[in-house]
Amino acid sequence: MSLLSVENLDVFYGDFRAVRGAHLELAAGQTIAIIGANGAGKSTLLNAIVGLSGRKSGSIRFDGRDIGREPTDRIARAGITMVPEGRRLFGSLTVEDNLLVGLAAERPGPWTLEAVYALFPRLGELSKMTAGSLSGGQQQMVSIGRALMTNPRVLLCDEISLGLAPKIIGDIYRCFETITASGVSVVLIEQNVVQACAAADYVYCMLEGHMSLEGRPEDLSQAQITAAYFGTGEALP
Amino acid sequence: MIWLETIANGIFLGGLYALIGLGLGFAFGVMRVVNVAQGDFIVAAAFIGLYLAPWVPINPILVIVPVAVIAFLIGIALQRLLINRVLGHDQIPQILLTFGVAIVLRNAMVAGFGANSQSIDVGAMRFLGFNLLGIRLGVLPAVILVIALLLFAALHLWLHRSRLGRLIRATADDYQVVQLQGVSYRRVFAIAMGIAMALSAVAGVLLAMRGSFTPYSGADRLLIAFEVVVIGGLGSFWGMFFGGMLLGITQLVALKLDPASGLMYGHIVFFIILILSPNGLAGAFRRVVLRK
Repeated sequence: MSLLSVENLDVFYGDFRAVRGAHLELAAGQTIAIIGANGAGKSTLLNAIVGLSGRKSGSIRFDGRDIGREPTDRIARAGITMVPEGRRLFGSLTVEDNLLVGLAAERPGPWTLEAVYALFPRLGELSKMTAGSLSGGQQQMVSIGRALMTNPRVLLCDEISLGLAPKIIGDIYRCFETITASGVSVVLIEQNVVQACAAADYVYCMLEGHMSLEGRPEDLSQAQITAAYFGTGEALP
Repeated sequence: MIWLETIANGIFLGGLYALIGLGLGFAFGVMRVVNVAQGDFIVAAAFIGLYLAPWVPINPILVIVPVAVIAFLIGIALQRLLINRVLGHDQIPQILLTFGVAIVLRNAMVAGFGANSQSIDVGAMRFLGFNLLGIRLGVLPAVILVIALLLFAALHLWLHRSRLGRLIRATADDYQVVQLQGVSYRRVFAIAMGIAMALSAVAGVLLAMRGSFTPYSGADRLLIAFEVVVIGGLGSFWGMFFGGMLLGITQLVALKLDPASGLMYGHIVFFIILILSPNGLAGAFRRVVLRK
């Protein structure tokens, strides 16, 4: 049985239906990726799972329990958290204070301050720095570390490579081997299709609010992905 | 010498003004909520202090402790029952709501206690004085300044050293993301409003010990609080402290020069600072000293 299961989800911004009949299955220990163009509804889908979106209908089940109406803080305490788009650190707090906020979820587990510093050694050196003064890549490490400090069972990552240099993106993605090895199941949103296919066991492609394609990366052809990504049908060569 | 005394008394008064601003500024800094009812709650706290003071052992000034506890609980109730319901991007509902609370509270106080001028009796301490560098100063104003300083320092330390203080600072930075860490921002907001009300209540009781108050004093108190917060620079902690000092000193020096002026020169200083540095003293400090 899957750990996280989304069925027939609609999410509205006012009268606009940003997500239409989306579905998603995440098994324990699995890493899945959601790809798609800007405005396809990827971020809206993740926000809906953690209860940060507006009006929604459909079913979101976590570990067999319906969490569709739970507030975000209760969902985080149950074990789903998110690395938000744009990092959204607590800019006036130090790196260490940012990480320690995660203790509020009161979920003991393998991810402690020491474990996060072991994963990102650079953060240990910067622990007393104000989060707002760090570089983009360092901020992304803090944002991931802060989420890990809640010891989530499911970690949602919204475009963690956005605006970062390729080398830093590579460094950060390498850390996901350690993260998944600790038992965390991961959902990645990624605009970079190659990166997504390399990191994930299963890939969904979103187009105009619904899933236009899904499958294991090795089963999907370049042409299929291109068609599903841009909505150009099967006509492409 | 007479000027030294005036300035010293201005500093004493300024400490209290800073404390009046702290409650409003803290609530705004954490929640971006402007509590228009703060002035009337300050007066309500003075009434509670008035009735509790005779029952307090050791020294009547200790009445600030039970009044602060009561105000803390009222603050939590106010946030949970009323303000949390109107949170959102639009700040107008919060202002209208607290404005309504202010009107109800003020009229309830007039109905309950009458419109007469009152003062909290602190016994002999009101008339005690001490000599410092050849000038004669009052014990009560000095004690009040020390209490204000201690509260500023205690709040600062608590925010930066405690677990809950860290959550309050994080919530102030981003109340949406903090939920992803398992924090209920509504609960944090309620605690923050409780603290803001407790600080304001202490200020209200101390003000009622130094001078007098009526159920209509709330508007004056709120005006002082606004000026302290804006002079200091919105949300700036120690900026507020020096903002209070500046207002207090200005007011007493001006009264010496022009005894009929009342709070006018304080308001003029407020406008001058607003024009020269819209970000208040903290903004000017960042610009001039830190060159940011």
